[in-house]
Amino acid sequence: MNVHPRARDYTQSSLGEMIPNESELTAGVKIEPGKQYGFFTDTTVCIGCKACEVACKEWNNLPADNVGLTGHSYDNTGALSANTWRHVNFIEQSGGGGGGASVRDNEQNAFQSGWLMMSDVCKHCHHAPCLEACPTGALFKTEFDTVVVQQDICNGCGYCVPACPFGVVDVSKADGKAHKCTLCYDRLKGGLEPACAKSCPTDSIQFGELSELQARAKTRVEQLHARGVHTAYTYGTPDSPGATGDMQYLNAFFLLTDRPEAYNLPAAPTRPSNRIAPALTAGLATLAGLAVAAVALLAASGEERRHGR
Amino acid sequence: MEGTITIVQEGRFQLSDDRGVSHQFVLDRVALVETEQLRPLQSRQARVRVKYTDASGLISLIAHRIELLEPKPSDPEPLEPVGS
Repeated sequence: MNVHPRARDYTQSSLGEMIPNESELTAGVKIEPGKQYGFFTDTTVCIGCKACEVACKEWNNLPADNVGLTGHSYDNTGALSANTWRHVNFIEQSGGGGGGASVRDNEQNAFQSGWLMMSDVCKHCHHAPCLEACPTGALFKTEFDTVVVQQDICNGCGYCVPACPFGVVDVSKADGKAHKCTLCYDRLKGGLEPACAKSCPTDSIQFGELSELQARAKTRVEQLHARGVHTAYTYGTPDSPGATGDMQYLNAFFLLTDRPEAYNLPAAPTRPSNRIAPALTAGLATLAGLAVAAVALLAASGEERRHGR
Repeated sequence: MEGTITIVQEGRFQLSDDRGVSHQFVLDRVALVETEQLRPLQSRQARVRVKYTDASGLISLIAHRIELLEPKPSDPEPLEPVGS
């Protein structure tokens, strides 16, 4: 493992002050405004420990919700919500991933091959539909190319909720405002790596500059293909599934080994704003058609009355 | 409940009561305080009284009103904000 040379400057257990640009030591990247940052989530190394969920809740002071057992595998979080900004999916494959045993069978394939685990999060879309739908400007693009809700401006209209093709944004019943992952905006401003990525013990969640992450993901897919995992692909990188429908790319993208739907991701997400023009045209055309029909009917009835029939 | 606000994130905050027990709060949608007023209270380590109710489906309390209190004679001096 490569240790950053600056790490030798901070060998003591407790520090009197924050480490400047700490992300250089923990994620190998210096956080600077004006650059694009995001997450690369490699699901092939996720062990479902939920450290990311806990770190997110801890840092963002998010209350626990959905208290109880869902009965869905080891997943008791359920889904992303106003109070849950990271959610580890547990997908039990009925065919063991390669036509072998199910995870519920006594005989198991090696290396937990029947399990798919994925830490889901806001995708911080390049063309963010939630941002496009927001009438107050509460949702905005930060200097780090991430998407954040400004709580003092959000009026809780909820337009962003159906606009998100991934079902990420949610309006809290408690405070009536929209909430979602901020990609730890406050930490980025302080030179810190986002809490979830920092806590991930297997580096399934990697934080960094987007171009660097995309290159890393490409190399990882090639490695997996070389090892015989031909199902590996990226979701959300340019010209890949997840970057369809004019989305271009997602700042938080994934490496998957099954169909997107298996991970509860849409196969071909689109921007709702792209449907406004066709929908408006169809509406206007219908209105014009009805007007023409009404005029024709009125003209016909007037003609009949004139002829005294 | 009375105490000191120790952590603030958006409209969520943590209050440390007189026994040192921490309680998590979410501002109510019609609370008599705005989200941007919380952080100054935290940095001043001001003593406050929070009127609240239980939240349904959340391990949190819903804060309806925050009143500023006089500091106790035994209260420590507020810490200087980091970077000042």
